[in-house]
Amino acid sequence: MAVTNEVQLKVENIHMAFGGVQALLGVSFEVKKGEIFSIIGPNGAGKTVLLNCINGLYTPQKGKVSFEGEDISRLKPYQRAQWGISRTFQKLELFRGATVLDNIRLGRHIHMKSGLLSCSLYFGKTAREEIEHRDFIEREIIDLLEIEHIRHKVVGMLPYGLQKRVELARALALNPKVILLDEPLAGLNLEEVEDMARFILDINEEERWQTTCVLVEHDMGVVMDISHRVMALNFGEKIAEGTPPEVQKNPNVIKAYLGEAEDLYVTRR
Amino acid sequence: MSYRPCGVYHQFYRQDHAWWQTKFVWGKMIFLGIFIFVLFPKFAGMYLISVANVVGYTILSAMGVQLLIGYCGQITLGHAAFLAMGAYTCTLLMLQLHIPYPIAMIFGGVVGGIWSVLFGLPSARVKGFYLIMTTMAAQFLTVEFFITQYVSQIGGRGVAFSIPPGTVKIGPWMIRNDLDVYYLMAILVVIFTFIMANLGRSKIGRAWIAIRDNDIAAETMGVNIVYYKLLAFFVAGFFGGIAGAFWVTSLAAVSPEHFHFGWSLWLVGVILIGGVGNIHGVIFGSLFMTLIPEGLKFFIFILTQNPFFVNIMPFLPLLLEKFLFVKEAAFGLAIVLFLIYEPNGLSYRWWQIKNYFNLWPFSY
Ligand SMILES: Nc1ncnc2c1ncn2[C@@H]1O[C@H](COP(=O)(O)OP(=O)(O)OP(=O)(O)O)[C@@H](O)[C@H]1O
Ligand SMILES: [Mg+2]
Repeated sequence: MAVTNEVQLKVENIHMAFGGVQALLGVSFEVKKGEIFSIIGPNGAGKTVLLNCINGLYTPQKGKVSFEGEDISRLKPYQRAQWGISRTFQKLELFRGATVLDNIRLGRHIHMKSGLLSCSLYFGKTAREEIEHRDFIEREIIDLLEIEHIRHKVVGMLPYGLQKRVELARALALNPKVILLDEPLAGLNLEEVEDMARFILDINEEERWQTTCVLVEHDMGVVMDISHRVMALNFGEKIAEGTPPEVQKNPNVIKAYLGEAEDLYVTRR
Repeated sequence: MSYRPCGVYHQFYRQDHAWWQTKFVWGKMIFLGIFIFVLFPKFAGMYLISVANVVGYTILSAMGVQLLIGYCGQITLGHAAFLAMGAYTCTLLMLQLHIPYPIAMIFGGVVGGIWSVLFGLPSARVKGFYLIMTTMAAQFLTVEFFITQYVSQIGGRGVAFSIPPGTVKIGPWMIRNDLDVYYLMAILVVIFTFIMANLGRSKIGRAWIAIRDNDIAAETMGVNIVYYKLLAFFVAGFFGGIAGAFWVTSLAAVSPEHFHFGWSLWLVGVILIGGVGNIHGVIFGSLFMTLIPEGLKFFIFILTQNPFFVNIMPFLPLLLEKFLFVKEAAFGLAIVLFLIYEPNGLSYRWWQIKNYFNLWPFSY
């Protein structure tokens, strides 16, 4: 979908320290509805910490996170999920002993309405609901991400690339408004990277999804290709923000990546 | 994960969601039902019935432990406290207020559930070892302190509440002997299994399993962790309360020593041996933990009948007299052996055998 002018996610002046380590020093930015907004930066820049602050796993010492105009800084992660913020993790956080389908089903949790009594009896309401959500998962998610062949497989047994895909599937099952993707391409081979980049574009562009994406990624080729805007972090501070070409040319960014300069221009081949 | 026999295809998701997916399995289950409700009570003697009642009581008691430990990952060492709350609530309501047994039993479940939530509250903050300590506190505060010191004094009856014959009846059905207890037990086991299995395959059970496996991911996916943990404590306590209220039927008198710490430990042993995280584990574990000691007792009894063995092993009659010690030693040994040789429990072996036959004659 076209990028709108409506601000969907707003982060203001986030400070986050772990003991003596200053992970974030007053980071602010806005993500517009319908955007692919990427966050780049060298290792340890604070990208993961920033995502954790947005989805509520960490509580920053200072700063504010607003979602669709409402302050959500005080909400718990599960409440932010109910608001429509979903995410994947840099180090996979899957339910390894469960099947692919059960992992994805958990993503439907907030949309299921059965209470204790109807879950205990199962017949009628809960059974109907289970079928409806199964149908949703099969039609919308498994089909989109091309994981039909592994739906009954135990996740822990799958190759890494497919596990990453299952995690995306689970995050998507939430039917989120914003999806935070923490290094979805890390550790994938070239073919898998292409697939994954296509999926990200799909969930951003397809009529059905139109999901805003916040993407943390080291693969500059993909980042510069698919992002609408890019923000660069270094040592917990924002050093640049703008369209991909602007950020690529920014002297601060080039300095931050000194020594790994070619990262900025060369795609993985 | 289990495999369907080859050649079974589904057209609707409904079929894939069903418990018993082939006619063969339906047949097996119907046979099992006939066996439990007709054949066994008809042909088993009084001794076997009483053993079956202990197995059933163990299943009912261990179901809540399985829910907390196996499904939700909250280790509990004080489950007997909730059994006791259920048993005492039920007994007091019957004796003091003359409330009919089924209603008193449900009250027992609710009180057990609320009591359990009370001691589950720390689980919002603490995990693992510290939670074990708080659940142990539940055991000692409830049974050794609250019930022994205060509840037992109600009505001035002393330590035990004796239940006059004829008190326990469900409508016109008077529960008088072991056979009546057996039928009640069988019905409750079916209901518990039904509820547990349904919870396991719907929203609530999935949330519990998610918390057990990865609480960060669960919370990120919108699961209210504190709420679902407390819900687990409530349902487990409710199961416990009902189990305790059920056991009242086969006790002549309710007293604190029926709910001692050893029983809490025993229940954890049941699910460790049976298998953690599934209902089969509860059933296999209860069968194993009841039948093996009974078998052992029977074996020692046979030996004592023969003067030859008594001559070479003069301690045999003493063993029989003090069988409790043998039982506890066997319990310890069984746990150790299982943890070393069969850490997934009996139910895992069961899956393997079942899958083997489903896939037979091909091994993949
Ligand atoms: N839970 C924590 N406790 C203490 N320090 C932490 C914690 N999480 C992150 N940090 C520190 O915060 C800084 C930023 O870490 P972060 O994980 O956000 O980096 P990153 O930008 O995601 O890097 P990478 O590209 O390697 O994933 C690092 O110095 C890290 O050591
Ligand atoms: Mg990171």
